[in-house]
Amino acid sequence: MSTDALLSVADLTASVDEKTILHGVNLSVAAGETHVLMGPNGAGKSTMGHVIMGDPVYTVNEGSITFDGADITELSCDKRSRAGLFLSFQAPVEIPGVPLSSFLRASIAGRPGLEMKGKEFRRRVKELAAQLDMDTAYLNRELGVGFSGGEKKKVEMLQLLLLQPKLAILDETDSGLDVDALSVVSRGMDAYRASCDGSLIIITHNTRILEHLSVDRVHVMVGGRIVREDDASLIPWIDEHGFESFEREAAGSVADDER
Amino acid sequence: MDALTIRNASAMPAPTWGWLRMNDTKIEIPVDLERIRAVTVEADEDLTETHASFEGAVADLQKRVDAARGDAEDTRACVRAAQRETESLDDLDTPALSAYQLRATRDEIANDVAAAFETGVHVDARSYLNFLAGSTVVLATESGDDEAAVVRVAGEAGGAAGASVDVVAAADSSIDLTISLDGNAAGSDAAGLIGSELRVFAGARARVSVTVYITADAGFTVIDDAGYVLDEGARVDVRHIVLGGGRTYTGLASDLRGDTARMEIGTRYLASGTEQRDFNYVIRHRGRKTISNMDANGVLTGTSKKVLRGTIDLIHGCKGSEGSERETVLLANQGVDNKTVPVILCDEDDVAGNHGATIGHVRPEQLFYLGCRGLSQEAAEALFVAAKLEDAALSAPDEQIRANVVRLGSALIDDFADFEEEIA
Repeated sequence: MSTDALLSVADLTASVDEKTILHGVNLSVAAGETHVLMGPNGAGKSTMGHVIMGDPVYTVNEGSITFDGADITELSCDKRSRAGLFLSFQAPVEIPGVPLSSFLRASIAGRPGLEMKGKEFRRRVKELAAQLDMDTAYLNRELGVGFSGGEKKKVEMLQLLLLQPKLAILDETDSGLDVDALSVVSRGMDAYRASCDGSLIIITHNTRILEHLSVDRVHVMVGGRIVREDDASLIPWIDEHGFESFEREAAGSVADDER
Repeated sequence: MDALTIRNASAMPAPTWGWLRMNDTKIEIPVDLERIRAVTVEADEDLTETHASFEGAVADLQKRVDAARGDAEDTRACVRAAQRETESLDDLDTPALSAYQLRATRDEIANDVAAAFETGVHVDARSYLNFLAGSTVVLATESGDDEAAVVRVAGEAGGAAGASVDVVAAADSSIDLTISLDGNAAGSDAAGLIGSELRVFAGARARVSVTVYITADAGFTVIDDAGYVLDEGARVDVRHIVLGGGRTYTGLASDLRGDTARMEIGTRYLASGTEQRDFNYVIRHRGRKTISNMDANGVLTGTSKKVLRGTIDLIHGCKGSEGSERETVLLANQGVDNKTVPVILCDEDDVAGNHGATIGHVRPEQLFYLGCRGLSQEAAEALFVAAKLEDAALSAPDEQIRANVVRLGSALIDDFADFEEEIA
């Protein structure tokens, strides 16, 4: 674990409904770094993102999460967000009755340096929408209601750019997107990195989204454990070989542990 | 002014179990209110300088109703039961009627438009509001007219003010009426009361649109009472936007007397803190092929309470009619008390009555999503409230009403006025 880490996850074990999902996970991300969390379906990647963000569905049984020098293990998700953490959802929820613009305005309220008055807010949001090829008519529509999968992901990117968090976890933001939408999401990530030099944890099991990114560290998760960590050279290797060997190794080591 | 309580207000035509405490309501008129003149009417002289009257229009309709009355004897068992003077054990083919059935059947036999006229909050509230108003403003269109009018009631803390308005829309005319019930406490803790009493006669093929905005501060009691009579082919659209007021009572009764008459009601409401909302809608389908739709959508936060009674009465003779009522309510806090009573009464075949309600608490995954964007439970509630207010402000009929919405919103939510700057 680096001493100047922005995010430090130490020996984290978490469960849901008394079933342990994460087993003693360690992860350290320094300011400005881009990390990739990869692994097969059901490996626990999304759970990892949700636990870091403080989803009350999960119980942290052991370990700690430190962010920007403070222990946030017991902090509520809204406070983690205000501390500078961001989670982009794999399947963003719909909130009927709440226009997107009202939601965006509420999300920046009370954030030092981000608060904007009426017209300035509208102008900023329209700029970001244009950057993401997003029709501004969506701003007046109910959050997520009737949005296509691609539009929902664009809204996630728009929030990322508006909130400029210190660290963003992007949970399979690339899933289910066509080539054009994928390019917009990539642009969003680039713009985020360029605008505030924020850190990224990209959760994916697809290497396409990573082609234009400078990745500092790759973590492979299998069965709720980080089974391999390396630099960006691991990405083309995984692209060619998949996760099978990691899954075999993980199954072997779990069997050894149980013996 | 002494303390006054209006009992059995907004009563459902056909009551349900008493222990549910939703058959009617009790309106407590705050004590020591001063009767104030706080009503302004913005309308062309064409509308207000008229000899037409609601009673006259109903009497003319009655003549046509009587002329169309057939000579054939109504031999239905319920009619025999309602007409007999005493029950007899020898006559087992004539049923016993409940008090409600007896009253309904007698009304049906009488076919008396004036006697059947009703308002949603009912007669005691009507009398009280007429007393507050002092006199009734009559807005009457001529055939072919296309008119608009605005009635504003601007309540003050410590005062009671009411408007009494009759609308008589001549055949083939249209009128757009806006009623603003605004109570600005101006920082005072004193109670206040505002209200409006509205009677509408929509002539044949007339188009009547009524929008009521309630933007009173929390210290106000608000009574919005209305009754409608629709002639053949008339269409009435009503929008009730209830955003403020400590206790509000909205009542509407409609007599779809003429064939193919149509009534559309859209209700949007918001209740926060300890506010209470009470709605009573009664739609009587009497004409053939009449249509009614009630669509309510609201947000309840804090420990607010709401009762919505919606009755569609498909009366004998209204063949081919359709009535529908829907409600969607978001409960943004576990502490709210929400009651909805959809009732469909039916004494006719070849009719359709539909009702549906979607009542939902904010789901945990929605709260987590909002949390991930920095919104606490309290901020999430404020967001739902703000969204309702913003929508109401955007669709406000004029600048003054929009300013009332923004004033109310600013009292409930920090920086709500920014929204106005954003959309300006």
